[in-house]
Amino acid sequence: MRDVYVAGIGITTFTRLEYPLTEIAAYASMMALRDAGVTEVDQIYVANMGAPRINHQTALASAVADSLSLLPAGAAAIENGPASGAAAIKAGFQAVASGMDEVVLVTGVERMREVNNLEATDFVATLTHPLTEYIYGVTLPAHAAMFARLYMEKYGVTERHLAMVGVKNQNAALNNKWAHLQQKITLEGILDSPEAMTNNPYVAEPLRFFDACPVSDGGAALVLVSEEKARELGRPMIRISGVGQATDTHAVFEREEPTDLLAVRRAAAAAYEMAGIGPEDIDVAELHDAFTILEIAESEEVGFFPKGEGHLGLEKGETALGGKIPINVGGGLKGRGHPVGATGVAQAWEIVTQLRGDGGKRQVEGARIGLTLNFGGFGNNVVCLTFVRED
Amino acid sequence: MAREIYAYKCRRCGTLHYPMRMVCKNCKENDFFEFDTVPLPKTGKLLTYTTVYNLPAQYDVATLGLGIVELENGMRMLGQIEIDNPSTGMAVKGSVKVVRQEAYDSYYGMVFTAA
Repeated sequence: MRDVYVAGIGITTFTRLEYPLTEIAAYASMMALRDAGVTEVDQIYVANMGAPRINHQTALASAVADSLSLLPAGAAAIENGPASGAAAIKAGFQAVASGMDEVVLVTGVERMREVNNLEATDFVATLTHPLTEYIYGVTLPAHAAMFARLYMEKYGVTERHLAMVGVKNQNAALNNKWAHLQQKITLEGILDSPEAMTNNPYVAEPLRFFDACPVSDGGAALVLVSEEKARELGRPMIRISGVGQATDTHAVFEREEPTDLLAVRRAAAAAYEMAGIGPEDIDVAELHDAFTILEIAESEEVGFFPKGEGHLGLEKGETALGGKIPINVGGGLKGRGHPVGATGVAQAWEIVTQLRGDGGKRQVEGARIGLTLNFGGFGNNVVCLTFVRED
Repeated sequence: MAREIYAYKCRRCGTLHYPMRMVCKNCKENDFFEFDTVPLPKTGKLLTYTTVYNLPAQYDVATLGLGIVELENGMRMLGQIEIDNPSTGMAVKGSVKVVRQEAYDSYYGMVFTAA
């Protein structure tokens, strides 16, 4: 298997975008291609979850290839729920690692604000089990809420801990000009003050409005290349060192230990094994904080903290910029936004930015090894990637 | 006729499945869907729950109660809950009712109340 490098990265602002889906994808892609210094690619993978349903558009990868005048490159779209982005990176990795392709463009894109919030929530809920979950009116916030309640009762996580994750990540987004939410929040305003219940109502008890990521439009892109090509292009040598993926039961209630995220644990273990590293080697991480509780649970499952102690690390500031293991310093899904198909690619974009030392105010000092965790379904399809800067 | 929610029992090894599988998750040796249906028990204890405020468009109610219940045979299921002050561990009993109404379709599922 050949080594695979990230030679170029691109991103759009995550927000409500009044551009066609193809243009959002193309914009992020152009930035990545320009960053890498390439004008031709062998293959394009477009990660997207909802185009056929939300945007009434199918065969998105063909549209993106033509829009970028990259014909006759191969192109295919990858739909893997909210883990589409990292699944597309994995496909691109395999294409280069196998020796089949030299240059692969991986673009994640989503335009969810074309429909209203209720439709967007219902669209995401279609990833749940059709006969035993979806028909009951289950949404992703409902899944996260039931998971959070178990976690709180078992491990002593409180609404304050959840709010702390929200404050940390949303305020981190202020250091990321591409991030969706550009509004400072405080524990006082969303939890302690008399107005908190108005500012921050429950969406699914015990989760409140500020425990959930926003519904966003946006795109992100990577250019993946072989080692030979990477040296020729002369960009910083950022290698994808580990790729792990795991699935779990479709119906969440069926899992033996309902507070475990087994697929997260297994995906991370596989990525670490491939990279020959452990959680203690990670300098900066992007976890999938679609809901605040998930950052806490995932920080344990990927091995940064023992099970049930993620909230203690959070309390001590260990997951903030400057802490032992900074998590989501670019805002995470909570602050950056969560255009579902784009998220996995945007996480990689942030890690590559960090490993290149281009993080500006949010730069993790001396970051050399980074990790992304892209969480699909409610934990039934998870992709973990590790990246390393080679000097 | 009383409506039921069914578990699927593998004819080879007896493992119960809910939701159904096309291949047994235990023996993995089914030739082609060799399962018998067995009604799920209707009593159990509430494992976790939530009240949802932002509902999919089909629901014409302000809030919806949802919960995961551990049934008396140890299997689990998700259902709607109609309980005033739910708490984890409380005993519940279910009945099969319409849980989702669309223009031309009614979907039946389990609705739990305090036992």
